[in-house]
Amino acid sequence: MAVDGALLELATEPTLRIYGWQPHAVSLGYFQSIGDFQDLPANTSLVRRSTGGGAIHHGDELTFSLVLGADRLPGDIKASYALLHDAIIRALARIGVSCWRATAGAAQSARPSDRWCFQTPVEGDLITDEGKLLGSAQRRIRTTTAHGSARVLHHGSLVLQRPDLTPFVAAVADQVAVTDVTRSELRACLIDELAKVLGLIATSDERTPAEHAMASQLRESQYGARNYLHRR
Amino acid sequence: MRPDDLKFQKSHEWCKVEGETATIGITDYAVAHLSDLVFLDLPAVGSTVTAGESFGEIESVKAVSSLYSPVTGEVVESNEELGDNLEWLSEEPFGKAWMIKVKVTATGPDLMEGAAYDAHCKAED
Repeated sequence: MAVDGALLELATEPTLRIYGWQPHAVSLGYFQSIGDFQDLPANTSLVRRSTGGGAIHHGDELTFSLVLGADRLPGDIKASYALLHDAIIRALARIGVSCWRATAGAAQSARPSDRWCFQTPVEGDLITDEGKLLGSAQRRIRTTTAHGSARVLHHGSLVLQRPDLTPFVAAVADQVAVTDVTRSELRACLIDELAKVLGLIATSDERTPAEHAMASQLRESQYGARNYLHRR
Repeated sequence: MRPDDLKFQKSHEWCKVEGETATIGITDYAVAHLSDLVFLDLPAVGSTVTAGESFGEIESVKAVSSLYSPVTGEVVESNEELGDNLEWLSEEPFGKAWMIKVKVTATGPDLMEGAAYDAHCKAED
């Protein structure tokens, strides 16, 4: 989370970061109350995201963060989700996984009472017959650097195998065997399709010293701090 | 229609300065693009806001957006009813959906008149 926060502030190029979770953990949406999660097993690792939406149990999944200027996405937030989700549908199809965007018939609560992101799919979510396959959330800011340009952090959690705390989700493993080869192919397809839809050419890069330093600072002052986790 | 006595920021906040007090909210354009608002965080009365820096956050369906202050000063009123009545932002973004009132010590350097703001919105579409 801290690295994503640093990239949101500092990355000078559109940046896709793909990662996993060790130990497996639960992330809360920015506005969620920690009081709603008192029943989780005592040893559950918890972190609060800067992005919105419901909580996610991050087990065996492919997590990604995409940081880019808002002008590279449609101004309408739902349209920006649709663009990225369609690219992810194409990436999954390339490894033999079928999913689609939930249509307007899906539940659309004004103030969702569901605490889990994957609990009730809403319009635009990526789903299969088994349930919701991808959790997505955004943070939108204007940086104090880069001349106050509008920037977006888009989080995605693509379930590979069903996690313990949220057994109602769909998973890639429902349709194809999850092996090291599958993971590697999915990762490559995701990079390729997201780059394509954004009109970019993907290259590999390391984090800059400034991004490392800001990530350390955010880890200490925000994402690793008890008062941030317990802010609500 | 937007009232003609407002100033605007690129980040889609409006402010109306009367005497030493600025009333601040977000524009109809921002509300339309955020859609389906679910949560709002505003600063407490007595806290300080700084021009160009975040004073709060608003969540639409799964997107949290920072709100940026057009002025520097002390928050003298916060619209406490707005968080439970977010539909006001669609109904009257320049009226009862105001967010905070600030005793101004300085205004931001990049405030726009309505015509310039309209052009900025067109450029963003």
